[in-house]
Amino acid sequence: MDELDNQKLTLVARKPCFGLPTACPSCLPVYIYLRFAQVPFDLSFNLIHPDSDQIPYIESGAYVAYNNEKGGVLESLKEDGIIDLDSQLHAIPEWLSMKVMISTWLEEAIMYELWVCSDGSSAKKIYYSDLPWPIGKILYFKQIHAVKQLLGITKDNAERREEEIHRRATIAYGALSTRLGEQTFFFENRPSGVDALFLGHALFTLQALPDTSVLRSKLLEHSNLVQYAEKLKTEFMEAGSSSSSVPRFPAEPSSSTSRRGPSNWSSKAKSKPKREKTEEEKTFRRRAKYFLVTQLVAVLVFLSLLGVSGGDNEVDLDDEDDDYNY
Amino acid sequence: MALKENQEETPISENPNGDEEGGEESQADGVGDFEDEDEDEAEEEDEEEEARSEKSRESRLAEDGSKLESMFRRLASEKVKLRVHDVLIKGNTKTKDSLIEAELEAIKNATTMQELLKAAGIANHRFHSFGIFDSVGITLDCGPPELPGTVNVIVDVVETKNPLTGDLGIFTKPEARTWSLEGSLKLKNLFGYGDLWDGSLVYGWDQSSEISAGVSLPRFKGMVTPMLARVSLLSQDWLKFSSYKERSLGLNLGLISTKRHDLTYNLLWRTLTDPSQMSSRAVRRQLGHGLLSSLKYTFRIDNRNSVLRPTQGYAFISTSQIGGLVPDYRSLRFLRQEIDLRCAIPLGFYRTALNLGISGGVIFPWGNGALSMPSSLPERFFLGGNSSPVCTLGGPTTLLGFKSRGLGPTERRRLIRDKSNGENSETSGRDVIGGDLAVTAFADLSFDLPLKLFRDAGIHGHVFACAGNLTKLTENEFRKFSFQKFLDSFRSSAGFGIIVPTKLFRMEVNYCYILKQFEHDHGRTGVQFSFSAT
Repeated sequence: MDELDNQKLTLVARKPCFGLPTACPSCLPVYIYLRFAQVPFDLSFNLIHPDSDQIPYIESGAYVAYNNEKGGVLESLKEDGIIDLDSQLHAIPEWLSMKVMISTWLEEAIMYELWVCSDGSSAKKIYYSDLPWPIGKILYFKQIHAVKQLLGITKDNAERREEEIHRRATIAYGALSTRLGEQTFFFENRPSGVDALFLGHALFTLQALPDTSVLRSKLLEHSNLVQYAEKLKTEFMEAGSSSSSVPRFPAEPSSSTSRRGPSNWSSKAKSKPKREKTEEEKTFRRRAKYFLVTQLVAVLVFLSLLGVSGGDNEVDLDDEDDDYNY
Repeated sequence: MALKENQEETPISENPNGDEEGGEESQADGVGDFEDEDEDEAEEEDEEEEARSEKSRESRLAEDGSKLESMFRRLASEKVKLRVHDVLIKGNTKTKDSLIEAELEAIKNATTMQELLKAAGIANHRFHSFGIFDSVGITLDCGPPELPGTVNVIVDVVETKNPLTGDLGIFTKPEARTWSLEGSLKLKNLFGYGDLWDGSLVYGWDQSSEISAGVSLPRFKGMVTPMLARVSLLSQDWLKFSSYKERSLGLNLGLISTKRHDLTYNLLWRTLTDPSQMSSRAVRRQLGHGLLSSLKYTFRIDNRNSVLRPTQGYAFISTSQIGGLVPDYRSLRFLRQEIDLRCAIPLGFYRTALNLGISGGVIFPWGNGALSMPSSLPERFFLGGNSSPVCTLGGPTTLLGFKSRGLGPTERRRLIRDKSNGENSETSGRDVIGGDLAVTAFADLSFDLPLKLFRDAGIHGHVFACAGNLTKLTENEFRKFSFQKFLDSFRSSAGFGIIVPTKLFRMEVNYCYILKQFEHDHGRTGVQFSFSAT
């Protein structure tokens, strides 16, 4: 019997603020995607791991879809056959290029605005406000350094890179605005992954970035994009979910169990996937271990019997007794 | 003549008649008869030996022997009054005078010869314990001739030539759960305050590694006990048992450290991660960063006659830890209490002794909403492992026969469906998540083996029985707690074995039989080896 049936989804994301259900720019699209899919889910927050690339993740019983596997949470959901809003859209060439444009150019622009060119108040509020002060401070500076490395920004090329990032964002907004026109959604008049990604980006830019932000002002130049964001926000996020559908977990086997290496934000080493050992190998290893230990024990017993006395010479300052009894 | 109290670090063979000072010439005299007699009796108590011709020493043997007897009689019957006139310190080029003078207060205030000698002996021992002197000599000389009944105290120190020493060994520290291999470098007396600096690299048997640096000050602003400060970077790998890795950067301050009392403060930045991405829900919720600011107080009484093979006596240790001392509500807040009770009863024949012991521990968080919050995962109790309960004193940790972290509450790990099989085969292990209340108890009967060869080598046998249990109390589980249920779910094991003490460590070869275990426990009936450091 599949134990995942009838277990509610839980989305673990970063904390809500700036009027958004979750203020982290990588968690918000996942939230919106689940709302688009009209799937009931619980929202849970992780406040202590700002530098984790596993967050956001979706769990249900013993099933977990991490963000650093299989290309992201949304891809995992598609692959595992749980939720797929883009099933017929793969054929449209524009769909993929829009998706990639939002995931690279616009995401870089947000990263730049959050970490490099602003005073960091938004980032601190979202990621570090629930960590004790010294830890938050150190992680914040660590993150700035990591983002600068990722975006290839150095003291010499800082201005050039900034210009390039903003130029790309402008091009992206222009293309998206043209594609959207007066429609409600980007493709086939229904919500898709591209809508989730862009809506998340747009809401974050409009609400979480400061008014002085260059990216925000560029987005405001495209009124149809702003209206699109406002309308969908009202429709899907503020008007409470009315869905009564049960999450679908068809019994399709998921793909391989390989674990991805570290993505952008984590600088920790990951363990390699362990090779499955066969029964014979395990027995062989156990027997070899016993053999070696028995040999060692025999040598030690032999040495003891030769007259090596029990331990007395190891001096450990920590255990020294200070008292001096007269 | 001069009176001397000497102590050196190298072992010295003691002359039973104590006549080492017999050949010394007196440089001042005429102060009074009692002085000569005092000098002789002090010689007898002296432990230091100077280079002298053997023939002259032998000739004085007989003479001093009789003098000593009369001196003893005098000392026993009378109080010899005197006053310390002056204290001179010689030989300290780097060490500050204030450090040495601080230990001489009792000497300065002595009013009788007995008090003076006792104070001198204690001061000598204290200097020796600093670890920065090669030798210390306290000489009592007669005072200026115009002031009768006075003595001058001359402290002669020889500082270590080589301040840098290295060390490699196998140790077991009270807070560690298993033994570890440690390499360290020590720098002595860098600033002249008796400061001992050390840097060390430790690799523990439980896949932990630590790099740390510390300083120890024997006297810090008037405190009598040494003050220790240590900065360490520790990394522990619990992936196999509980799917998480722990890394912490911490500052540890030893505030009070005496034979019975120990107070330390710990400030720690701890990060839990899961590179395997297989953790269970309970562990996933705890991954991240945390700040631990805690005060730990240990009260210890141990009057057993041996740590490794106690045959008589009892021990009681209570460790209390309170975390969350900074006003920041976001740091880890908890209260943790551990108690150990041990008792050794000799049975009279074949050096047989019955060792009984019970250990318990409890942890719970405090603060707003604490009752429904989980306790911090690394601070919980975990039972299991093969270290000997007789020698291990550090809360409820060990249960012979069960693997490390081998019993207690567990939770299912992440499920990954295996596509390679035709059907939906699911591979999922379990994470050991520890408990908030732990109790272990044991009874151990140790005895000498019949063969003289074994007895001489210290090899002995033992028969034992252990029991232990672990349960969760936080997240409102305490409401469902029932004492009867807790008792019913005790795991237990019994067995026998041989203990082989070697120079480097103590090895036990045991045959354990698991009497009771539950579904997800990892107890194994069979032969097991366990090692603990001596």
